Amino acid sequence: MSQDIFPPRVRRWLFTTNHKEVGILYLVTALFFFVAAGLLAVTMRTQLSVPDNHVLTETLYNQFVTVHGLLMIFWVLSPFAFGFANYIIPLQIGARDLAFPRLNAMSYWFYLFSGVAIIMSFIFGAPDLGWTLYSPQTAFQFAPSIGLNVGAAALILITVSITMSSVNFLVTMFKMRAPGMKLRNMPVFPWAILVTIFMMLYAFPSFLAAVLLLYVDRAFGTFYFSSLQGGALLWDNVFWFFGHPEVYIVLFPAIGLIADVIPTFSRRPLYGSKYVIGSMIAAAVISFIVWGHHMFVTGIGLTSTKLYTVTTIAVSLPFDVMVIAMIETLTKARVKLKAAALFALGAIALFVIGGITGVYLASVALDHALRGTYFVVAHFHYIMVGGSIMGLIAGLYYWFPKFTGRMYNETVAKIHFIVSFIGFNILYFPMFLLLDMPRRIQTYAPDTGWGSLNSLATFGGFIFGGAQVLLFVNIFLSQRRGPPSGPNPWDGWTLEWSLPSPPPAHDFDKIPSIAEDGTYHFGTSAGLPHGAGYPNGSKIGDGYPHSHFEGLSPWPIVVAFAAFIFFLGLTIGQPSSPTTPVTFQPFWPLILDGAILGVIVLYGYSREKFSVHEESHVESWPFREVPNVKLGIWTFLGAEVIFFGVLIGAYFFVRTNSPIWPEVGSLFDIRNGFAMTLVLLTSSLTAIMALVSARVGSRNGLIVSLIATFGLGISFLYIKATEWVYLGSHGVFSVAYGLPATSYFITTGTHGVHVFAGMLMTLYLLVNTLKGRYLKGDHQAIEHFGLYWHFVDIVWVFLFPLFYLI
Amino acid sequence: MAVSNTQVIFDNLYGIFTDLAIVVGVIVFALMAYLIIRYRSKKSSSDPEDTPRLGRIPTARGHGRNVLITVTLSTFLLAVLIITSFAAVDTLFPNTPPNATWCYGIAAYNQTQATGQSCPRLDVTGHQFYWVFRYPNNHTYTNFFRVPVDTTVVLDVTSADVFHDFGIIQFKIKTDAIHGRTNTIWFIPYTPGNYTIQCFELCGTGHVGMIATLAVMNVTAFQNWYGSAK
Repeated sequence: MSQDIFPPRVRRWLFTTNHKEVGILYLVTALFFFVAAGLLAVTMRTQLSVPDNHVLTETLYNQFVTVHGLLMIFWVLSPFAFGFANYIIPLQIGARDLAFPRLNAMSYWFYLFSGVAIIMSFIFGAPDLGWTLYSPQTAFQFAPSIGLNVGAAALILITVSITMSSVNFLVTMFKMRAPGMKLRNMPVFPWAILVTIFMMLYAFPSFLAAVLLLYVDRAFGTFYFSSLQGGALLWDNVFWFFGHPEVYIVLFPAIGLIADVIPTFSRRPLYGSKYVIGSMIAAAVISFIVWGHHMFVTGIGLTSTKLYTVTTIAVSLPFDVMVIAMIETLTKARVKLKAAALFALGAIALFVIGGITGVYLASVALDHALRGTYFVVAHFHYIMVGGSIMGLIAGLYYWFPKFTGRMYNETVAKIHFIVSFIGFNILYFPMFLLLDMPRRIQTYAPDTGWGSLNSLATFGGFIFGGAQVLLFVNIFLSQRRGPPSGPNPWDGWTLEWSLPSPPPAHDFDKIPSIAEDGTYHFGTSAGLPHGAGYPNGSKIGDGYPHSHFEGLSPWPIVVAFAAFIFFLGLTIGQPSSPTTPVTFQPFWPLILDGAILGVIVLYGYSREKFSVHEESHVESWPFREVPNVKLGIWTFLGAEVIFFGVLIGAYFFVRTNSPIWPEVGSLFDIRNGFAMTLVLLTSSLTAIMALVSARVGSRNGLIVSLIATFGLGISFLYIKATEWVYLGSHGVFSVAYGLPATSYFITTGTHGVHVFAGMLMTLYLLVNTLKGRYLKGDHQAIEHFGLYWHFVDIVWVFLFPLFYLI
Repeated sequence: MAVSNTQVIFDNLYGIFTDLAIVVGVIVFALMAYLIIRYRSKKSSSDPEDTPRLGRIPTARGHGRNVLITVTLSTFLLAVLIITSFAAVDTLFPNTPPNATWCYGIAAYNQTQATGQSCPRLDVTGHQFYWVFRYPNNHTYTNFFRVPVDTTVVLDVTSADVFHDFGIIQFKIKTDAIHGRTNTIWFIPYTPGNYTIQCFELCGTGHVGMIATLAVMNVTAFQNWYGSAK
């Protein structure tokens, strides 16, 4: 692909793989969506300002509510934080870039296109049932709008984006820290991102599985989520298993950032930093066992609700530690109230209010009154706007000089804080008092008495919204005309401040190292731990090969675009019947375009000579011996475990809730299942033989093993296909047959797709083997394929007994 | 004014939470404000001794002891909240699900107990976008129902279509209305009058108007109405 058709500046932004530029792209895009979602909010506040108001129709109001929520949670909070993470974390841990720069750019483009999709959904009638997408209202009969499909496509794309960047950051932070930079020596911000990534890895696959099942329900008329057999509760469980960790996913980066900003501006180290980090880990773990508090009044039983009350109240303890640590940091300090410090301290104050009111909602008894009211709205806006957004704005002011090399206007920034803080409280505090008013209603009657508090909140909303104009004017003008900031305007002590502002493309001329006594060494190998020097002969100090930093790659954006087209094709289309729509027909031309383009660009992507300079650093516990790609695959497989876990869990759920289920052997032939199991287990053996052959350099052995693996995969899919055809020709493959068939087709079908993907990999490996690769110690690819292939086999080992034997 | 037992339970518990919240909030904010003012940067002040410098890992600071004290104190506070919440929810959700016998057993009103005619146990069904109430005598009413004052009222709530949430606003009690499930709530109204029922889960275009009325009547008035209805 010729890159020269674009002018250089455009080309740079479209094709960049540099973590700093990708970070800026993330920040700018997130701020754009922040404005878009904020304008939706201002419109909604206008609608609610007085009783019986009709600025917005109810349908439009519901769409605004939904898209505002989705945008803020998925397209603003996390990407805003990951803009900083992209730019700052490699600098703070002394790496030259992320582990996989092209994957990083691809994450960004998936994010952008997913955002385009969610905005596009307005064309088709945007989702209008709240960001929680409760079933069975998502069933096609209740929501026959294509807009919800497009929303689902957007959510799938952003989940892919998030999964890619989690893997990327995880590998970077475990593998690419500067020599001597121990995990515990990382500043709190990278720590917060690390904890966030782990939550993402375990929470988002659950969400992805839920959205995929939802899509299948809508496209094929199945009824995972619309069945009487607990479909609504299935969605609730799966969604909130993701949804509660998601709250901390959008919060932790801001907390980590604040924990670095407050010490810098109070001129003392963070109080009890190891306890802060420990608390983050504790809260992240507990966040996976509190989701039931979103379901207190669904009728999950007294004992469960009590357990969830205890876990949810317990999760406030680690946050308690974090807040107290930040406040104690100020003792005997020298507090400089610059704008960044004001926003950080303000965020903590608002977060305290949000946290305390969260304890109210953790109580099952109070939740009987407060569920679904404006008290909830007030609570989570204090967390997400008060804690997260205010904290992230602190980061924007804090790192603005680093990004641009210029200072913003401090006075305007301080006014921005004061007006925002006051406006925020006028906006959201009245909502605590509106604890009788249902959330997500378009209007209310005058005799409810809710009018005056709503007017006040709307007034505050205009103040808060208007204050943000100051932010945008300030950063826009200052990045052009602000006075030079110098490398370290705040007298900070984390590594990014050791570099010029803005840092050069390759970041560090010389990778720093940290000696045992905690002092940094910029560029000499003296004092390195273990006396190791720089392994792999990387040319520290005598001119770093900068090639890839100027190297642009056109493929990430095109891969993302292909995926965008593909999913758009899957989701836009025609309802299958104009009168009583139950399902819809996907738009095949677009799907084909996307698929063809996808194959072409993935080929181009893999062919591109884009070498990542992998510096093998001395300190990379606990994965010292594990290469980047392998660690990436392990983490990816970890996410896959959750994904299949949810599919299998959903199967269990519908099965235990169904009054009748077919006898063993009556639906699926046990012999088929047994044969497939044997075939797949044998193929695991041949995959091992392939690796052994590659290790000993036996070309023929490798070729035979790969062909055998491919052949066994084909046999597996062949048996599966005959089974599907048999079931289909006997009428089982119909909606009427219900959940036993649905769950079987979806679960084994998803597994089959994984087998198919594995077979494509064997073909790729085979082609390369014939060209003579993998035999001279470069057999990592065979090993990576093996990991994946064994995982797919293990999944089948679970599916076989579940569907055929019990 | 007490309008129902559930409202009293809520108000008491909400009061406990709010008292503690104010105490904790005031302490935290006072401490924060004091420290910011006390240690704010002045022209005369210089950096503390342990200000970290670029090029060094910051020195560790802070005592595990203080963290432990904070956590212990918080645990006590939270334990109070958990225990009071459990007491409240045990009343809202008795261990034995409400049935007719149970319902008479704790009812303050017992005139009909002898005859066993009208322990008010109703089926409530949410539809897009209205509520249907069915009495034991199979009379149904849309968007309004009546109950006698000072009587245990039991509602079995479900949905005919999508996910709704049935909430009696002034009584501070609600439950989800889910297709295929029945959730039971109960309450004792204390004061005659009209109360508002609203759907608390966004259920489509029309959700905003999914409002019903509960009329709490004197016992004799209720009996006359119930006996003569239709």
